[in-house]
Amino acid sequence: MLLRPILSKLVRNRPLNSPLIQNASRVFSTEVEKLEETRPTVRKPNPVARGQLADFGKYVAECMPKYIQKIQITAGDELELLIAPEGVVPVLQFLKDHHNAQFTNLSDIAGMDVPARPYRFEIIYNLLSVRFNSRIRVKTYTDELTPIESCNDVHKAANWYEREIWDMYGVFFSNHPDLRRILTDYGFEGHPFRKDFPLSGYVEVRYDDEKKRVVVEPLELAQEFRKFELSAPWEQFPNFRNANPASEEVPTDKK
Amino acid sequence: MTSQAVRKTLKEVKPILSLNRDEARRRVLNLYKTWYRQLPYIVQTYDIPVSVDKCKKKLREEFTKYSESNDIRLVDMLVIKGQMELKEVVNVWKQKGHIMAYFKDTVEPKPKDFLSKFLNGKD
Amino acid sequence: MLRLTVSRALNGAKSSPTCLSVASRYQSDQKKPDKIEVFIDDKPVLVEPGTTVLQAAAMVGVEIPRFCYHERLAVAGNCRMCLVEVEKSPKPVAACAMPVMKGWRVKTDSEMTRKAREGIMEFLLVNHPLDCPICDQGGECDLQDQSMAFGSDRSRFTDIDFSGKRAVEDKDIGPLVKTIMTRCIHCTRCIRFASEVAGINDLGTTGRGNDMQVGTYIEKLFMSELSGNIIDLCPVGALTSKPYSFTARPWEIRKVDSIDVLDAVGSNIIVSTRTGEVMRIVPRVNEEINEEWLADKSRFAYDGLKRQRLVTPMLRDNNGDLNPVDWEAALITVAKVVKHAGNSIGAIAGGFADAEALIALKDLLNRLGSEHLCTERTFPLDGSGTDLRSSYLLNNKIAAVEEADLVLLVGTNPRFEAPLLNARLRKAWVHNETDVALIGPQVDLTYHYEHLGDDPNVLRKINEGDHEFADKLKRAKKPLIIIGAELLERKDGGALLSTVQNLSTKLNSNEDWKVLNVLHKVASQVAALDIGYNPGIDKIKSADLKVLYLLGADGDHINKEDLPKDCFVIYQGHHGDRGAAIADAVLPGAAYTEKQATYVNTEGRAQQTLVAVSPPGRAREDWKIIRALSEIVGAKLPYDNLNQIRDRLDEIAPHLTRYGNAESANYFKQAAELSKKTESAIDCKPIDVKIKELQDYYMTDSISRASPTMAKCVQAVLKQKQSACN
Repeated sequence: MLLRPILSKLVRNRPLNSPLIQNASRVFSTEVEKLEETRPTVRKPNPVARGQLADFGKYVAECMPKYIQKIQITAGDELELLIAPEGVVPVLQFLKDHHNAQFTNLSDIAGMDVPARPYRFEIIYNLLSVRFNSRIRVKTYTDELTPIESCNDVHKAANWYEREIWDMYGVFFSNHPDLRRILTDYGFEGHPFRKDFPLSGYVEVRYDDEKKRVVVEPLELAQEFRKFELSAPWEQFPNFRNANPASEEVPTDKK
Repeated sequence: MTSQAVRKTLKEVKPILSLNRDEARRRVLNLYKTWYRQLPYIVQTYDIPVSVDKCKKKLREEFTKYSESNDIRLVDMLVIKGQMELKEVVNVWKQKGHIMAYFKDTVEPKPKDFLSKFLNGKD
Repeated sequence: MLRLTVSRALNGAKSSPTCLSVASRYQSDQKKPDKIEVFIDDKPVLVEPGTTVLQAAAMVGVEIPRFCYHERLAVAGNCRMCLVEVEKSPKPVAACAMPVMKGWRVKTDSEMTRKAREGIMEFLLVNHPLDCPICDQGGECDLQDQSMAFGSDRSRFTDIDFSGKRAVEDKDIGPLVKTIMTRCIHCTRCIRFASEVAGINDLGTTGRGNDMQVGTYIEKLFMSELSGNIIDLCPVGALTSKPYSFTARPWEIRKVDSIDVLDAVGSNIIVSTRTGEVMRIVPRVNEEINEEWLADKSRFAYDGLKRQRLVTPMLRDNNGDLNPVDWEAALITVAKVVKHAGNSIGAIAGGFADAEALIALKDLLNRLGSEHLCTERTFPLDGSGTDLRSSYLLNNKIAAVEEADLVLLVGTNPRFEAPLLNARLRKAWVHNETDVALIGPQVDLTYHYEHLGDDPNVLRKINEGDHEFADKLKRAKKPLIIIGAELLERKDGGALLSTVQNLSTKLNSNEDWKVLNVLHKVASQVAALDIGYNPGIDKIKSADLKVLYLLGADGDHINKEDLPKDCFVIYQGHHGDRGAAIADAVLPGAAYTEKQATYVNTEGRAQQTLVAVSPPGRAREDWKIIRALSEIVGAKLPYDNLNQIRDRLDEIAPHLTRYGNAESANYFKQAAELSKKTESAIDCKPIDVKIKELQDYYMTDSISRASPTMAKCVQAVLKQKQSACN
């Protein structure tokens, strides 16, 4: 009941007028028009869809108060559930099987490393509900040594995604049927997407003509590493500083 | 500050595999033994120019590299990685070059004392 | 003259707002009126009366865009980019020129403000060429940045068939500054810099409105030792650096904070490098030393770092030719000679030697039993000599020069010996009514001074109160005597120094104000004296040496003839200059952009350079060469890395490792007492300085002598001097 209205009510807000009337209304009623976002390059938020997403978020939070820590909406209309690490399987199972959600498609699992945090890794599950043409994001957190429950039993797609995260970040997924490296070479040491892993790596490989095989040696950069100055010059200006917040929290009734 | 540190040491953590030190130790020894038994076959299948004895020495070296690790979870994690590594070797997913990479036989040692560093122009 | 207008404004028309903003900083001794409250974007801020809207906005962190306004220059108010809305004012107000009034509500992001900015931006861009892709300012251009931030997001410019974009002929103002005058937006920053800071009234505008042009009226060289600063000041690409043109983009260069060593001021610089090459040098703000300016030699002599370099160790063979060898062979040969020489080894430190190399060399020679350690530059040893730091430092610090009310320059030409100190003097002269007097040859200092002749006995007369200037000095509240180190190299240097020391103790009424100031010419001198080197090479000449170690000594102070025939000369340094020419063994060292090293400027301020590029070829950091040699000689020095050698520095003189700090000297009275024992008398030889005119300034040391840009500058100045319109 909660998501269905998104589809049914997803009609254009403004009735289709003839071009003449549209123009006239633009000339005479500038005050009204001003409220609408008119810049062509800015994506127009849909307040109705947004409200429904917020409602759905609240509903999930009420259903699973133990796991869900925060509900937020980012980039205007993307719903995010921030959950405790123990809740990965139950929450994903709930989102998959609930009749009004049906997030049956796990489109991606992403990782993120913020070394300053006590739990430095964030694991992000991107889900798609084909039934309702809607997407949701589930985020959880962990550190180098805390395993996360594999969601392979809920979504078969998770198999390779979790292998990828294991390989790139070194986050261990317990009960994974076949956890091993997927992208790096056999014998590769370290997890390249960690922030403390240098961009250049530690070793270089080359074919040794004498030994007739590929050899691994410590890195020696013959050429200067190219580095760019990337600070934006307009960071000092108010429009940049007062840009829209990245995410807005949806209040829940949790005590 | 101290209370924080105390709390941190007493923090309850989720175990990876082992619940206590003995169990972790057993896993390490198990892994070591499995590797040890596989070594002759590895030398044979990969046809590497190293004797089994040298491989045993290397194996011991690779294990003792982490002898300072006391955290059970860290030991578990290393055991998991060691098992994965073993699987890659035994299934012949690795190639000769990967095995020989353990021995680092092409790496020239870095100069240690001031004068040789100076003459090589390396810091 | 500029000074007259400002002083008139100060004394007479107090109400003129534009002049007040310049002068307000110097009125601290007057009673301060109450602060007034204004609102910037509804944020209240308390400011002093006379503060401009722009300054008030900066206090609450609101940056108002600007082109013509610059903190260190007079307010012009002609670019109009800083227009802001003030409540109840019918039209927008130029924030840079308008002092705030009580209760004003300034809106820096209102509809009117934004529209005004967009309009100004559109006007500026109508006549600005769209050549950003080939413009050297691209990526660090104020116009680019601000048109992104404040300009309109679409163009109304429809004149695509070439009919009317303004085009202006480029000017030729010398080999340093490239002008593309079509890009000029007439902010007049360069003009104001030239007339206010540099003191050269050559730049100006001609024409009005759309025909306005910035230029030199007639084709003329911009003859200033500070000319490079107009490149930094120019908000667009109208004035760019000629040697740097088309070589690099600002977003792909690496910036390394460093210290300039081409004079004894120790200006703070940023060395920009790309692909292991120094691309350019720009100033770094340091209010206590160089503000945000940089002298031309420091800025442009960097191409000398790529030429005439010593890249491999060399040994002289029987035919008298230097042959390249590897480090091992060179060190072994040198070590054999050094061992054989025992304690008859001497060393001379040149002008670019860093404190680490100096200490390593001193430790090595001391271990070998020798005390023959000298600096190239002489300093009188009578009286307290170099034992008390107060007698060889610029004690009162560079920044405090601005506060002086009477400055006496003795035997120095600060304009070319320390251009940034001279800029300070000029600033004091313009804004603070400082009077300057000079004993020495008559030179152009860019400001008026009282010339007391070049007879050294004038100094004695002033000391004895026998001269009309003595009264003036006595009456001055904050007198300053700056004595050139070059003057003290004379035979009667001791007598001159003791006279000045005596004079300054008589004048010294305030503990914090130090009258006696010595201005050095080379970067290494203060550190060398602090570490305990003997000034002057007389000792070397008289000692019967078997080995002489030259640490970058290129000053032409010592020749083969001064040395015993069998003396083996080792040269360690970065340039194949005068020192390398007489050497039997050459050990290639690193230049100041290639090592992390400590330098102490003439104030006694320790600062460090950082590694911007690696030394070329087989060149090595200087202290490491000495350390390696010591091991082969068998007198191993006890430091293996930079931290350890800095600990050693710390042991000898703790201030050498307190970077950024100027360690003040004391014991002025004692130094003056000791100096009374000086027996020599002032002789009658007129006082002279080596660098009198601009053409002498550019090539003074091994780096600038190797620089083609500096050579071009000398040529251009000479040509200008010959031409009719000088």
